Amino acid sequence: MGLIKNIGNAVKNEVRDYLLKIVEAENEAPKNPEAENVQKPAETKAGQPKVEEKPVVKEEKVQPEKVEEVEKVAEKPRKKEIYPISNDLEFVRVSYKKGQDSVIIPKELAELIKMLPLDEYACFVKLYCFVLEQKKNYGYWGGTLKRRIGLDQLTTSEFEELGSNLAAYGLLLLEQLTENQKTFVLYVPFDEDTMVKLSTAKKPEKKPEKPVKKPAPKPAPKAKAEPEPEEETQRAEDIPGKPVEGMENDEMYKSYKTFVSLEIDKAKMRVGRANFDKIYMEAVKYIDKKYGFKVLSDSDKFKEYLTNYYISAFDIPTFENWKKSKG
Amino acid sequence: MLNDIKILMKSLSDIDVRIMLCKSAFEWELLAKKYNALRDEIEAFCASGLPEDVEKALDKTRAYLVEKRGELPPLDLSDFFK
Repeated sequence: MGLIKNIGNAVKNEVRDYLLKIVEAENEAPKNPEAENVQKPAETKAGQPKVEEKPVVKEEKVQPEKVEEVEKVAEKPRKKEIYPISNDLEFVRVSYKKGQDSVIIPKELAELIKMLPLDEYACFVKLYCFVLEQKKNYGYWGGTLKRRIGLDQLTTSEFEELGSNLAAYGLLLLEQLTENQKTFVLYVPFDEDTMVKLSTAKKPEKKPEKPVKKPAPKPAPKAKAEPEPEEETQRAEDIPGKPVEGMENDEMYKSYKTFVSLEIDKAKMRVGRANFDKIYMEAVKYIDKKYGFKVLSDSDKFKEYLTNYYISAFDIPTFENWKKSKG
Repeated sequence: MLNDIKILMKSLSDIDVRIMLCKSAFEWELLAKKYNALRDEIEAFCASGLPEDVEKALDKTRAYLVEKRGELPPLDLSDFFK
């Protein structure tokens, strides 16, 4: 009886030690798996020299079940569901009136983000700094952004996971623009003094229900690859990308404007600052020649014609084409 | 009449000088508006038709302005997309 009791105690000790080692090995990289097997018999020998083989046999039977249990325990936190920190946040695309000298997190926002896990918190703060730097709280979501906010060490899937977690927490809005392109809108409390409201972004839950409005008036024609000087008589209403009557409030058109804005930013990065300045100079000369000098001195009209020029120059899809591609 | 046109031309050459010193889009817009107003004034003054040298001077200033506009930093379109 005593012998059996001793064997039982030895097995218990062995299993406990083994499980502790597995847990440690999970946290660190396994250094030498054989070391454990070498150590155990030695320990057993010290306590129970006569029964050294039996505990090993029993240990092998117990091991897989226990390992599974440990793995289950380790996996549980990863599978936990994420609940939004706040449901009533309004996502507004904003641009900052001027560059910020310091990064100030409003108290309201700080209260929200302090509830985030460490990784998501870090990602949010990095995004927030980036948003202040680029003077707008929206942009493309992807590898370039990952690099620009200093998360280059993360893999694409890790970054995507962080993004979707932040979206699940309700502090980021991700929108699938096309198959490969995604945009983000970071939640920032709107401040009239420092920001200009551009448009309100819709939350993804509402997206499938969103009716696709079609503008009643005649759609704008396609953009030309190169602006043609002979079209002197072209009416202002025929400009590609220009909203036709009744279309200004269309949600689709608002999305299109955001898309154009992002495409111009992207083109700016693609061609480089020097080339973009040259393109701008050409645009100014072209607009002056085609539409007259007074357009140049009219800020709103000039911006409109300049956007139109960029749409042509950078092969940005027209509203109609973009709408078709969106399906 | 000669004196009047000389005064107008002096205003035009003032704009030329200011174009060279212009460093922002805002300044440029002010100059462009001044140029437009001056051009209208000169055209109204020479109702029978612009003398050739005056027309040349106006066109030259306009070309300066256009060139300067192209040299200034590209216009920020972000507020246009609201």
